[in-house]
Amino acid sequence: MQLCVEPNQSQAKEIKGETMSGRVIVITSGKGGVGKTTTNANIGTALARAGKKVVMIDTDLGLRNLDLLLGLENRIVYTIVDVVEGRCKLKQALVKDKKNPNLCLLAAAQTRDKSAVTEEQLKDICEELKKDFDFILVDCPAGIEQGFQNAVAGASEAIVVTTPEMSAVRDADRIIGLLEAKEEIKSYKLLINRVRPNLIKSNDMMSVEDVVEILSADLIGIIPEDTGIITSTNKGEPIVNDEKSLAGQAYKNVARRIIGEEVPFLNLEEDTSVLAKVKKFFSGLMGKEK
Amino acid sequence: MKDIFTDFYNTILGFFRQTEKKEENAKDVACNRLRVVLMQDRTNLTPELLQRMRQELIDLLSKYVEMDKDALELNFDQEGGQMALMLSIPVLRAKDEAEIEAEEEKTEADEEESDEEIESEADLPEAEETEEDSENETDDPEKEASEPSDADETEQTKEIEK
Repeated sequence: MQLCVEPNQSQAKEIKGETMSGRVIVITSGKGGVGKTTTNANIGTALARAGKKVVMIDTDLGLRNLDLLLGLENRIVYTIVDVVEGRCKLKQALVKDKKNPNLCLLAAAQTRDKSAVTEEQLKDICEELKKDFDFILVDCPAGIEQGFQNAVAGASEAIVVTTPEMSAVRDADRIIGLLEAKEEIKSYKLLINRVRPNLIKSNDMMSVEDVVEILSADLIGIIPEDTGIITSTNKGEPIVNDEKSLAGQAYKNVARRIIGEEVPFLNLEEDTSVLAKVKKFFSGLMGKEK
Repeated sequence: MKDIFTDFYNTILGFFRQTEKKEENAKDVACNRLRVVLMQDRTNLTPELLQRMRQELIDLLSKYVEMDKDALELNFDQEGGQMALMLSIPVLRAKDEAEIEAEEEKTEADEEESDEEIESEADLPEAEETEEDSENETDDPEKEASEPSDADETEQTKEIEK
């Protein structure tokens, strides 16, 4: 019992003792559809589950989706544009998560375009949020135009999401080049999403090592392709809440690494894909025959 | 029933073996294509410039060695964070000093022209001119005679750090 109580106390102390100076992390990729928003929702939820105060900012004005992945689409009253244009206070616009009171969302406006918020305004919002939160996760729109510039403006760290596909890696390289040119960004880490171990095994897909070598960036996470992501998106429930999911576990590990823990990367070799199961089944049959 | 399964299994296995046997699998092709395209992205080195660089390297090196110009390879390789330009030159034979001196005299004669050319680097016509230069060189009767001789005697790899 004592063992259980002690860490809780020290955790409480930690939160009270530090006058909050949150870390602002932008999650970006260049290419669309590689899983930026999914990554954002899951890392945010995992960090909040670990007891951190987290706010997520959706900067994809006109194409907001983070609210959907979190199942918060019906709770949005004010958006980031309302804050910027003075129709509400920043705190009023923060939507609390259904399950986790540590988790908040500042939604993007769906009816406006990228020019509705400036880099300076986003910087100010991040500065303001730093006082009250441990982590500010900024969901960046695809592309390298103004939307990207805005999202990056307030951040000091970045997570570059890519997949082991040529176009995604090329765009990630471009993004890394742009991030390196930004003085405010102190560090960036690579997250490789939608990894398919069976395709890598048959040499049909670039491996994690290949991508890391080509981009020569530090790795913070390897997320296996998981059909559960589709159902979790449909339900508006991040996959980290599904204890059985391998992708959920991988996202939780990313969150732990962000906090500073050293967590070994998941072994994806033990393939759970359908094809592997079929192969296993047949090799079992063949074995019996002999 | 079992036969159907066995057939199916063999087809699947055969498919995998087939992909494994291929000299260049999809993964390697992707990696190599990416390396080239990223080098171009990172350095703004266009295919035209690359071609020009290749030609100029041939011009320079043919002063000292005879090589199989068609088999010359210019590729990018990455070691850690460093991009490296890998030049693989199939050398037919080295030239002797008399030949090198003859080449030198020839280049000195051309120098006045080329000086002007170097100053305007971005001009495309220049690239064409250098190509023409090399063509003239290949026309050299002495060289043509020795060219069909056994190729790839030595393969020399030269690395030029970016």
